[in-house]
Amino acid sequence: MALGLSMALARVDDALSFAHEAADPYTREGFTVREDAWGGDLGVKDQQAVTAQLFKGNVYWFWLGTDTKGAVITVHIYDSEGNLAESEYWQKGRFAAAKITPKKTGTYYAIVTVEKSSRERSNWALVYGYK
Amino acid sequence: MLSRLIPVVFCGIALAKAPAQEPAQHVDLTKFPAAAVDDVVVPVPSEVFNVLDKLGSPNWNAEMRDNLGKNSGDRAQVALLLGTVIADGFIAVEAENAERVKDIGQEVLTLADAINVRKAVIARSKSITEKADAKNWSAVRSELDGALQDVKGAMEELGDEDLAQLVSLGGWIRGTEVLTSIVGKNYTLDGAQLLCQPELVNYFSRRVDAMRNSRLKKSKLVQTVRRLLKDIRPLIKRETIPIETVQKIHTMTNKVVIVITTQES
Repeated sequence: MALGLSMALARVDDALSFAHEAADPYTREGFTVREDAWGGDLGVKDQQAVTAQLFKGNVYWFWLGTDTKGAVITVHIYDSEGNLAESEYWQKGRFAAAKITPKKTGTYYAIVTVEKSSRERSNWALVYGYK
Repeated sequence: MLSRLIPVVFCGIALAKAPAQEPAQHVDLTKFPAAAVDDVVVPVPSEVFNVLDKLGSPNWNAEMRDNLGKNSGDRAQVALLLGTVIADGFIAVEAENAERVKDIGQEVLTLADAINVRKAVIARSKSITEKADAKNWSAVRSELDGALQDVKGAMEELGDEDLAQLVSLGGWIRGTEVLTSIVGKNYTLDGAQLLCQPELVNYFSRRVDAMRNSRLKKSKLVQTVRRLLKDIRPLIKRETIPIETVQKIHTMTNKVVIVITTQES
């Protein structure tokens, strides 16, 4: 079942704030953060793919946040063959991020995972930026 | 800042199990629901222009159009035209032509008014003018990206997802026309590779095919766009795109931009 936009917004608004909090320091490094975002909810160990067209020549960071206290979430970037393509990543509880400098222009997949959570389902939100 | 959120939620679907620590070196993308993987994030124009900036110094003034087009009153045409005009805003920014940027900001407002989303872009239009006057070009770019998102968001809130998609498509078609013009004049493999967007084109095609408004979907203009996407698809699958293909795509997109601009087919 896919949630409607307004319902999804209400449910993951806090998660989105955390995703922006993760992104904030990078804006000072010259990254432009897109104003739109992607989100939903996932059970523990469930994964979600977000498909993006990325361009060689840009550097991208994807930032992930969840509103579930104590939850552990991750985001990793894979190319169209399913190979890990990120050059860097970090994970700090309810925040996570992955960096990619695409070797070629094409389709990439940001894979979001809820590793641990006290809740059955955890809200998540993903934003990305580029420079 | 009000962020727009695109739901990619598929409640109740248990997906692939993930390792706890180090990321897997490989994932099987077929394990993910097709609806999620197929829903491609459309890049904002700035992402492409950002790369073009690094590839050299094209003559952006030569890419600007004197005639931004006329509003025919047809909603599909206005939505597509709005997308092309916003794309022209980026070109004017690259050319650092403040007067042109301000004209485009006004035109965006006029076209947005024609499809009932003026309110969504008033603040952006004002900000575009102020930042163009200050020659703060990166800020103008951000405002243009924002204007595109705001217009689409307002249309979606009005239940006009189909029109919102046409705004994106208009911007993509005009952007591709300009990209192919620039790469065609100073061909490099990296420049041509910017056209390698097969999944994005597939996504646009699927969205046109899935349009709920059958009258809109069957309109001559939308069918022209649909044919363009179908014809471009096989040309941009390869990582290496030769100059002949770049020029061919330029001719194809140029023709459709003229159709959108003049509403003649």
